[in-house]
Amino acid sequence: MAKPKTKLENKPQTVVAPAPKWNVVVLNDPINYQGYVVIAFVSVLRITNPEAKKLMRTIHQNGRTTVWTGERERAEMLALELQQWHLNALLEKDA
Amino acid sequence: MPELRLSMTAEARTVLTDLLKLIAPAAARVSVNRAQIPDNDLEIAGFWTENLSAHATEEARLLANAFAQAKGDPAVILLRDEAQACAFLRALSAVRFALRDLVFADISDDQLEDPSDLDDDESLPTEKRHALACYACFGLLQQSLVRQLDPEAFD
Repeated sequence: MAKPKTKLENKPQTVVAPAPKWNVVVLNDPINYQGYVVIAFVSVLRITNPEAKKLMRTIHQNGRTTVWTGERERAEMLALELQQWHLNALLEKDA
Repeated sequence: MPELRLSMTAEARTVLTDLLKLIAPAAARVSVNRAQIPDNDLEIAGFWTENLSAHATEEARLLANAFAQAKGDPAVILLRDEAQACAFLRALSAVRFALRDLVFADISDDQLEDPSDLDDDESLPTEKRHALACYACFGLLQQSLVRQLDPEAFD
């Protein structure tokens, strides 16, 4: 039986690029207490208390930090939830 | 988790309740104005605005009702579970931001963080000093609630 001819050499090449990542960034603010921010992070980001404290301290020292990186839809949802907690959260495309 | 409890003098409850009647309706608007809403997609921006406004309005209502219903001396606010306590925390935060934006716009963040100097500043109008005292009280209630929710949240 003859093998069917394949013309793989003519098949158009498709390049699948990974979807860009998005960062959820939280900025320091002068109103919310540190303990409040820790509770917000534990509640929204589902992280442990020590992890939340570490993020909170970084924001306090540096004025901002990225609290989550990943696909856009989830990043939007997390940023919205953090804003519901009245944190200065914003979205940035990962460099 | 057992119910959470906030207590204050009857006088403090009256003063804070009166201020909340003035400031709570504005808290939702301030929340939306402060939020950094993505503006490259009108549909998403509309959803965010609506969502934040609805949340803040509902939480302002929860706060106002809780203060209005607190009876006795000391007046006690009971929060039945963690979800309600978190909503209450967020509402207190919204009110403090609203006071910051609408009443203390001319006071620096550093002064607001440690307002002890402002207590003796006789150039400040009485209403503003009154609002500062309320701002501090809302902060104390917030800290008390945070400690009940998570004793390790503060260092």
